Amino acid sequence: MNMTRSQFLFFYLVMTAALASGLAIFSSASTIALALRSAAAGIFVPLILALATAFVLDPVVSRMEKYHIARSRSTLAIFFFSVVLLWLSGSWLVTYTQQMWISLVQDFPRYSSGLIKYIKEAQMSWQDQFPFLIQYDLTERVRSWAESFFSFLIVATPKSALKLGSLLILVPLFAFFFIRDGANIRRNLIALAPNRYFEMAHDLSYLISRQTSRFVRGRIIEASIIGACITAGLSLTDIRYAPLLGLFAGITNLIPYIGPLVGMIPGFTIALIDLGFGAQFWWIVILYVLIAQVILDNFILIPILISRYANLHPLLVIVAIIMGGKIYGVLGMIIGVPILSACKIAFIQIRHYRRAFSLPDTGTELPR
Amino acid sequence: MHNLWDRILRSNKEEESLSAFLQRIPVFSHLNNRDLQYIKTLIHTRTYDPGEIIFEQGDPGSGMYVIRSGHVTLFTRDARNKREDLSILGPGDFFGETTIATPAARVTSASCNENCELLGLFRSDLFAVAERRPEIANRILLGLTSVISERLQNAILELRRHPVSEEAD
Repeated sequence: MNMTRSQFLFFYLVMTAALASGLAIFSSASTIALALRSAAAGIFVPLILALATAFVLDPVVSRMEKYHIARSRSTLAIFFFSVVLLWLSGSWLVTYTQQMWISLVQDFPRYSSGLIKYIKEAQMSWQDQFPFLIQYDLTERVRSWAESFFSFLIVATPKSALKLGSLLILVPLFAFFFIRDGANIRRNLIALAPNRYFEMAHDLSYLISRQTSRFVRGRIIEASIIGACITAGLSLTDIRYAPLLGLFAGITNLIPYIGPLVGMIPGFTIALIDLGFGAQFWWIVILYVLIAQVILDNFILIPILISRYANLHPLLVIVAIIMGGKIYGVLGMIIGVPILSACKIAFIQIRHYRRAFSLPDTGTELPR
Repeated sequence: MHNLWDRILRSNKEEESLSAFLQRIPVFSHLNNRDLQYIKTLIHTRTYDPGEIIFEQGDPGSGMYVIRSGHVTLFTRDARNKREDLSILGPGDFFGETTIATPAARVTSASCNENCELLGLFRSDLFAVAERRPEIANRILLGLTSVISERLQNAILELRRHPVSEEAD
């Protein structure tokens, strides 16, 4: 194909313009995505926490509505009651937590060096038995992890206090509107569906939101009971930081399979270093493993509170933890599993819905 | 000045007319004015174009529709997909009420003859009312039961009047 010089020049200019505009669109799209991500970063945590709060408080508001108290008023009453409770317990709670936190930060190097000592002994014994593991230095890994965690604790404490302050304002604010207007928000979103799919979308959204809220509520109540049980059990011993250890065990209990194991580590470490291998240590082991996990969680709480089909395969749990951790750090690890469970609930509800209506064949013969 | 009052009063009139309209529907006839104000927040108002299908025979049914304006044709299709019209409904009529309490597939299809405004009340809304305001749900279910009983009675009388001959089988 013969091209004149002017045609070639025109072709060259068009291609350059196309490339330049393509690059401009790509860069502006990525800038917009980046801007959206950074804008959403601060709002994600309060939103998730507010949703969880709304799920927990919603049945209380609905119950008050039964007695002809308007939804806005009953929501306001609950928040007012919570604020008064926090206000009254605030001065004691803040001082108590602060003292405990400062003493934990002081004690942390002692506990980490104790843990490293135990790991070193274990490492020497397994390297004697399996010489090919000599290259793998677990002690060094744990040491560097403990050092970085300690420096994070020191740096992050003032930052966390600031974050906690903003959360204390944002979470109740969002939760208030989620409880009061949640149904309306869902209704307005569903109203956007085309007429042909409106009924199905409306039905499914109700079923999915009901199951998800039950699941999240169940998980939070389960974690709170486990945390309270561990705190109460540990308070019977001479161990320090029982409330913090209970809180940690409760939060990690939100992650199935792996969470409870991680929740035990600080308790066992502190018990071993402060109390040694005594009766109290074995009581703490029994408390964590047998009482909290086996009897209370597996035999009582899970069958009552958690729907069977929200259970995830252990492989999926691990994938959710890794992916959640990559996206949102420690918080991502905790909320990754409930989010995946909610997706599974949605999937199962859609399948149930399709199956329930595909059984009767009303398409051909009708009585006349 | 006149316009301002007109605008304020018009919105009130419209809202009042929706309550008054709902009260004329037998399913909601047991509800008082306060209940109707509550029900208004649950009703979904949908607009349809002429010829638009509302639902098809065999679709998952999850609630009832009340016709506020326009006309709706209920029809069935036979094995060869041939359409047979069953009835034409107008403003104030309602259909699909048999699926409001329990999930079932639609036994007929429904389409709009002209521009229609339909009010939808669905099973999930009824469940939500039953949790929050059980007395209102009771009154709706009472209205629904009397409508369905009346239709059942009529169907029985109709069957007695025109018994199905054995030869037809």
